[in-house]
Amino acid sequence: MVIYLLVALIFFIGLYGIVAKKNIIKIIIGANIVGYAVNLLFIVMGYQWGGMAPVLTEKTKPDEFYKLAVDPLPQALVLTSIVIDLAFLAFLSALAIRLYEKYETFDIEKMRRLKG
Amino acid sequence: MNLIVMPVVIYLGSAFVIPLLFRKNEELAGKFTCICTFLAFVISILIGINVFSQGRFISFAGGWENPVGIALMVDPLSALFLIVCNFITFFILLYSDTYMKKYTGRIYFNSLFMLMLAGMNGVLISMDIWNIFVFFEIASISSFILVAFGLKAEELEASLKYTIMGFLASTMILFGMAMIYGLTGTLNLPDIAFALSKLPPSHLWFTVALLLSGYILKMALVPFHTWLPDAHSMAPAPVSAILSSLFIKIIGFYLVIRVSLNLFGDIYQIKTALIVLGVVSMILGGIMAYGQQNIKRLFAYSTISQIGYCAIGIGIGGYLGYLGAIMHFIGHAFSKSLLFLDIGAIEYMTGTTDSNDLEGINEQMPFTTLFSNMGMFGISGIPPLGNFWSKLIIILAAVKAGYFGVALLSVFVAVLTLGYFLKLLRNVYYNKPKTKEEKKEAPLGLLVPMATLSFMVLFTGVFLIPSIRKTVLDKTVGVMENFSYKSLHISETDESILLEE
Amino acid sequence: MDKGMSEIVKGISKIVFPFIILFGIALVLYGHINPGGGFSGGAVLAGGFVLLLLAFGKDYVFKVFPPKIARLIDSLGALGFLCIAVLGFTGGHFFYNFLNKGRLFHLWSGGTMVFANIAIGMKICSALFVGISVLSMARLEKKENGPIYRQSGEE
Repeated sequence: MVIYLLVALIFFIGLYGIVAKKNIIKIIIGANIVGYAVNLLFIVMGYQWGGMAPVLTEKTKPDEFYKLAVDPLPQALVLTSIVIDLAFLAFLSALAIRLYEKYETFDIEKMRRLKG
Repeated sequence: MNLIVMPVVIYLGSAFVIPLLFRKNEELAGKFTCICTFLAFVISILIGINVFSQGRFISFAGGWENPVGIALMVDPLSALFLIVCNFITFFILLYSDTYMKKYTGRIYFNSLFMLMLAGMNGVLISMDIWNIFVFFEIASISSFILVAFGLKAEELEASLKYTIMGFLASTMILFGMAMIYGLTGTLNLPDIAFALSKLPPSHLWFTVALLLSGYILKMALVPFHTWLPDAHSMAPAPVSAILSSLFIKIIGFYLVIRVSLNLFGDIYQIKTALIVLGVVSMILGGIMAYGQQNIKRLFAYSTISQIGYCAIGIGIGGYLGYLGAIMHFIGHAFSKSLLFLDIGAIEYMTGTTDSNDLEGINEQMPFTTLFSNMGMFGISGIPPLGNFWSKLIIILAAVKAGYFGVALLSVFVAVLTLGYFLKLLRNVYYNKPKTKEEKKEAPLGLLVPMATLSFMVLFTGVFLIPSIRKTVLDKTVGVMENFSYKSLHISETDESILLEE
Repeated sequence: MDKGMSEIVKGISKIVFPFIILFGIALVLYGHINPGGGFSGGAVLAGGFVLLLLAFGKDYVFKVFPPKIARLIDSLGALGFLCIAVLGFTGGHFFYNFLNKGRLFHLWSGGTMVFANIAIGMKICSALFVGISVLSMARLEKKENGPIYRQSGEE
């Protein structure tokens, strides 16, 4: 139960970073933290108490494996999710560099040319 | 029939072949993309013929059977979306071959466009909730980069807003999928539907709220619409056309149909929520469009208004409601892409899209004005063009189901739509120009796609002829009305797999 | 960034770099038996090259691993993965595993998964390296109208 509260706490810290900060670099870091929260939730969903890693070798016993092994499917999903967040981060960083060139500042309150 | 993965394979292959082969010769890259899109269109017509005559087709990737494998399915709804998507993109790419001469770095444009198309087609063929998410992300990230393609200051700012809000949508969808995985233990859509139908509905509200809020943000209904006017008005013209006519429909509208109708079953609260959001979107889109100076921004608000119609169509339900929503999708896809291509042609010849600066377009560019007229009258619903039939069917469905207020507001917003388009026609197109400047007609490469799309706007009503309607549209509406993924579930043992903490 | 760091950093990274590359290749090749696979192996390989970029400066690293070759490997990796998927049609399904699967728990037990891992590893390594090197080539020059982004070096 405590783990899920931790996930919610990390998510809201990241969300505070996206919503309340004015520097664009801090918004990007907030977006990263939101990504960490979601990945943590996936891993926690598949956890088994007292578990072992889901790797089959020649020496594992099948009964013990089926009872104790941690679910490997969320781990594959988290790998994909990490790569997607990496693509977001790369694009946002390039966008931040180009925005600094055009507007001469990192402050998003000064980037208000689109209105209405 | 193993052809259903072929559109995705063609688009992914060409997206990675273009930077290899065409780095020296950028002109050929545009023609290569047109050839690939034409191939994909032919394949989707073959898939469509097969599906409309023989019913849905399911296959598994890699031969791994249920419950381990990733399932792929094409049913009449997906086949209709595939055909319309590939048809419109072929003409948009034919247009962008000429239009993108004014931009640099055209290789990256073509490669990213192919990636976006691969993502959109991949969403249409998959029946596994994680597969849908991966293709959704491929398409979304490519669209973020394409919106910022011109590298002017306003375009970068619009893309920043769009990216951050799209990131939040993806996060909400991921949370929803984590909840679904925790509740049911599987990622296959039939198994999820079967397991969720055994739980009491009070467990599901949080999951439904998360998933639907993510997809509705991409569909741009009202509280989640703030990214759309900036992103669609500042993108280059072909990108605006495909975003506004196809991307919102496939990534937003199609997935809302799949998740709310086929996965969760007929839940009354989701439909009421869609009706309320749809009505507010219609009115807000119509009113905000009156005050816009930038023509592309006016078209973007018009898109919000028309998406509200589609949401009302799904929300009302029944045969008429679903028929109206699907026909509205088809009509709006053709006419909105035609309108954005028109504005692109005007911008290509004169260099501005501000309605204060343009006047007297009819005298210099008569063909462009003719196609613009067809597009605008098509959207506002003048019979017998495009959206008249679909708006009529939605209003009839609302009256039949007892929502009289919704029907009245639909008629009011239809008049409102005609109002701002007429205002645009008078101020920009049919003026007498004050200065005698020589503006020539748009080149042929821009005119041919616009002519074909306007021809299709004229004949969208042909879908209602009873013989065509029975083969194509009745089966599509049957998927939305009667089909639930539960019916595809293969139950060997009768226990649903619930994970304990 | 152009000249690299001090002599101590250069000396140690010269020693450490082959081990990083070896570790990355082991992660990629043993992806079907141990945890690892294409993504993580490719990221470790890219990390090795970025270590060289930070320690020695981009003039030296672009002679060793020029961005043109990196883009070529990028496209070839993705096309290789797609070819493996399409060749699965010979076995009857899309993405079918059609090679001989040898003895269990040994290196040659993956079938087509080994080649898919290698293709993905090459693609991720070159893609991350190109991404970080392009971001690091940005220079801001002060002109009269404001800063202008200039990319120093070749494109």
